[in-house]
Amino acid sequence: MKKLVSLLLALCMLLSLGVASAEIADVEPLTVAGPDDATAKWDMWSFVDAHNEFYAQMVDKWNAENPDRTIQITFTTYPYADMHQKMLMSLQTGKGAPDMCDIEIGQFPNFIPADEEIPLYPMNDALVGYEDMVKARLDVYSGADGNRYGIPFHVGASVMYWNAEIFEKYNLDYKSVKTWEDYTELGRKLRDASNGEVYLTSVDTAGVDWMWIAMSSYGEDWTGGLDGEVNVQLDSVKKMLEMQQQWLEEGIAMISTDGHVDLEAGFANVSSGKIASFPKAMWYMSRFINYMPEMKGKYDIGLIPTFEAGQKCSVGIGGTGTVVTNQASEPELAAEWLVWAKCGAEGQKYIWDVLGFDVCNAAYWSDPAFAENEENIYNTFFRVKPYLVLQQLDELDAIGTIYSTANSPTINDYFCTTVLNNILEDGMDVDEALQDAADYIEFEID
Amino acid sequence: MKYLKKYLYSQKVAPYIFVLPFVLSFLIFWVYPLISGITMSFQDIGFSKREWVGIENYAKLLRDKTFKLAISNSIEYMAWTIALLIPFPMIFAVMMDSRLTKAKGVWKAIMYIPALTSVVISGMLFRMMFSEADGSQMNKLMVWLGQQPIPWLKSKATSWLGLILLCCWRWTGVNMLYFLSGLKAIDSTLYEAADVDGCTAIQKFRHITLPLLQPTTIYVVTISVFAGLSMFLESFMLWGNNDSPKNIGLTIVGYLYKRGIQKNDMGYACAVGVVLLVIALLINFAQLIATGTIKIGKRKEE
Amino acid sequence: MMKTQAVVDSKHANTKRAIGTVLVTGFFAILSAIIAFPLLAGLLASFHPGRELLQNGLSLNLNFDTMSLNNYIYLLSGNADSQKYFMWYGNSLELTIITVILTLLICYFVAYGMTMYRFKLGKILFFLVIATMCVPFEILLLPLYNEVTELGIINTIWGVMLPGLCSASTIFFFRQYLIGMPKELLEAARIDGCTEYGISVRIMMPLAKPAFASMAILCAMGSWNNMLWPMMVFRDADKFTLQIGLNTLLTPYGNDYDVLIAGSMFGILPIMVIFLLFQKYLIEGMTAGAVKG
Repeated sequence: MKKLVSLLLALCMLLSLGVASAEIADVEPLTVAGPDDATAKWDMWSFVDAHNEFYAQMVDKWNAENPDRTIQITFTTYPYADMHQKMLMSLQTGKGAPDMCDIEIGQFPNFIPADEEIPLYPMNDALVGYEDMVKARLDVYSGADGNRYGIPFHVGASVMYWNAEIFEKYNLDYKSVKTWEDYTELGRKLRDASNGEVYLTSVDTAGVDWMWIAMSSYGEDWTGGLDGEVNVQLDSVKKMLEMQQQWLEEGIAMISTDGHVDLEAGFANVSSGKIASFPKAMWYMSRFINYMPEMKGKYDIGLIPTFEAGQKCSVGIGGTGTVVTNQASEPELAAEWLVWAKCGAEGQKYIWDVLGFDVCNAAYWSDPAFAENEENIYNTFFRVKPYLVLQQLDELDAIGTIYSTANSPTINDYFCTTVLNNILEDGMDVDEALQDAADYIEFEID
Repeated sequence: MKYLKKYLYSQKVAPYIFVLPFVLSFLIFWVYPLISGITMSFQDIGFSKREWVGIENYAKLLRDKTFKLAISNSIEYMAWTIALLIPFPMIFAVMMDSRLTKAKGVWKAIMYIPALTSVVISGMLFRMMFSEADGSQMNKLMVWLGQQPIPWLKSKATSWLGLILLCCWRWTGVNMLYFLSGLKAIDSTLYEAADVDGCTAIQKFRHITLPLLQPTTIYVVTISVFAGLSMFLESFMLWGNNDSPKNIGLTIVGYLYKRGIQKNDMGYACAVGVVLLVIALLINFAQLIATGTIKIGKRKEE
Repeated sequence: MMKTQAVVDSKHANTKRAIGTVLVTGFFAILSAIIAFPLLAGLLASFHPGRELLQNGLSLNLNFDTMSLNNYIYLLSGNADSQKYFMWYGNSLELTIITVILTLLICYFVAYGMTMYRFKLGKILFFLVIATMCVPFEILLLPLYNEVTELGIINTIWGVMLPGLCSASTIFFFRQYLIGMPKELLEAARIDGCTEYGISVRIMMPLAKPAFASMAILCAMGSWNNMLWPMMVFRDADKFTLQIGLNTLLTPYGNDYDVLIAGSMFGILPIMVIFLLFQKYLIEGMTAGAVKG
């Protein structure tokens, strides 16, 4: 028994040690912005720390401009999956949801069911006066009832990222690439020149960006848009997948490590020069700044090839719709602040300069304070000023839209887990794999 | 007041007070959620709606290929764990029990340590070892064997190697200790008698050890069945989330989680839960028949 | 803590036996090496930059050039990440300690009531205990979540603990232990004027100390490593336990991996220490069910 007592004592010591160290950490990890005596106090969730930093700045600016209507927000950052699950569950049980929340575009449809009351606050009134926002970006966060529920950050226009240094090394010209045929040909040359060490690109098994780009080119949309029928057996998708299969066969492309390039393994492939180009949305620029700073001056940004001349070469990919929930206190003020913060001039400037997004108010794309600003890190990081590419896209009217509908999560899930793996990893026949996808989706939607 | 106190302290009432917490917990946290779960499985539940849909959820489950895949994955996993985590730990226990083995305490401790690590940590370690990067342990092994690196977690056979290794890694030591304590309970004179009769080691194992270990074996099989059937976190951690390529790692509980929590379809998810319950009860029932009756009943009479 | 078993008898030790010893012991040495491997690789990885782990995968990597204590220094530095980590650590400790104490007390009394008295309900209740053990907890996950929300204990440690306090397996274990206790003690104590509750605390509880010890360890392990249910109940980031917290570090980007890998290794520590201290009780505890059941 004596031994037991001494052991228990040892245990107590160990535990108190732990508790003591825990007490050092008695500091709130949450960020609070705004004064304690504010008119309105809110909770806000996000899955990206940088977003919360942006909101916090906008709270301070708002309070400076509106001393009679001050606000205070407590911010919490959760991991992506966690946050969306908690959000769904707290909206469903009617308790515990924050006043405002970032919702990723792929998850958004889960929050705006077509056949029942939507647990979010409509933003229509707050958006009056911000008519120059890109309409398609507001549409993707709209409910079946026609109300707007989410405020976007960016357009997410997709562009081609080129590792110019590699092409210089092998004396290859990437700038003249206009069609996917040219692109494939360039890939062959690069493969031969580098003895198969450098792949032209990596194709994704856990992301549908390439499919979206193809659909945009042909003006197709597998969700069927806001009132159409779901159809994944599209010519554009088939063409893209068959082309990618061919690239893999010929050794022009590799399969993205871990599924797509917006991951640590993807950064490794990009920064080690294993792949020489890849299409991705404009917001991927911030990944260079944050995770691949050593690539400064090496990368160029250009337009994505198309199948045929004159097709749209870009599509809005990804995004975050920020919402006010139906559990919010003073929802009207919250909506007003949110729209002011994300769509107003000051907010847009911050969104470009710090977050590095292509802002939703297209008027700013050609504004020299945005496009030519030498203090903006993105303007000096790449071999081209990114907003010049945007201007080009704007002139060509080349940015398409793929809608996010109630069926989008089902389609995306199945492509990212099954279809793309079947086709790219296992080499399954494209028609067969798409038929399987159609069957699955039909069952799910039913 | 005094009367009440006396009443509460009486030998008649005391046992009821002792077991009261269990009764309450049983009713509140077992019976109630079980019934409400079964009720919900007949409903279509959304943010604000809650409608009766009869057996629609079950009818849909019957046609749901993903669900069938989840069931077959769970049962396959259970089968693997039983096939591997019963015989090997048993043999290890017999070897450990042998007087020939030195430094038993060290080996036992090391073999038990994996069970101390959480699924989060062990899952992460295995995920990284089975990573498709060239520098992962498994791909280094492939290169060493003169093969090309492969994406381990993208195809069923290779990823399940990881999944099953993870499971064996965590539970071999635990199961071995179960069998070891089972062995301790066997009367050593039986072995001495067998030695006198000139039995070989294998004969002794077959005719003494195996039958007398039966209670332990039944116990280990039972916990393995339930752990195997309701496996979720191992798969969740190995693939980093609930979405494995082609759903090779989707289990019944994973599907329940996906439907109920990720897709906010509580009614359908509860129907999945009820099916899991039915499967568990069927296996229980089968086991009761296979082993005669419950052991506990017999023990009391002894 | 090596147990030098009665192996003795060197007189009769012949070569055959020596070979057997080498073979069997060697076998366990190799098996132990294999089993220790993942943790060892993880331990080594914790001395390397976290990004490497994500980019290169995990292997037994002895690259002395990039090896450093940086991750641990960072973890203990008291900066925002380190504070977050120790907040999780503290939350886990708090939850584990309270859970263990309450679970043990409640389960002991329930088992005591079931075994020490002959009353009709007792047998039925024991059957119910077995019944609850036969239903996987995961089935109750969703309805239990709704219930906990309705009760208003969502996002509190009570929401995490209450549904599991009457742990069937712990009750089962205590029952198995108490059933072997002599009932005459009770009568003697009653004659001495002890109340029913007094007996259970002052007479029986001290006798059941070993059972308490082994259940405490098993229960602590379970609570420290528990993840699924706490993840659903806790909503505020400042309430997260270590396991939930570590899981939040598993992002696709490598910047959190320094804390993750060092923190994971550090997080195994308390359980490891308790295990090494109480190994004997633990093994008794977890195997009791297997032998007696």
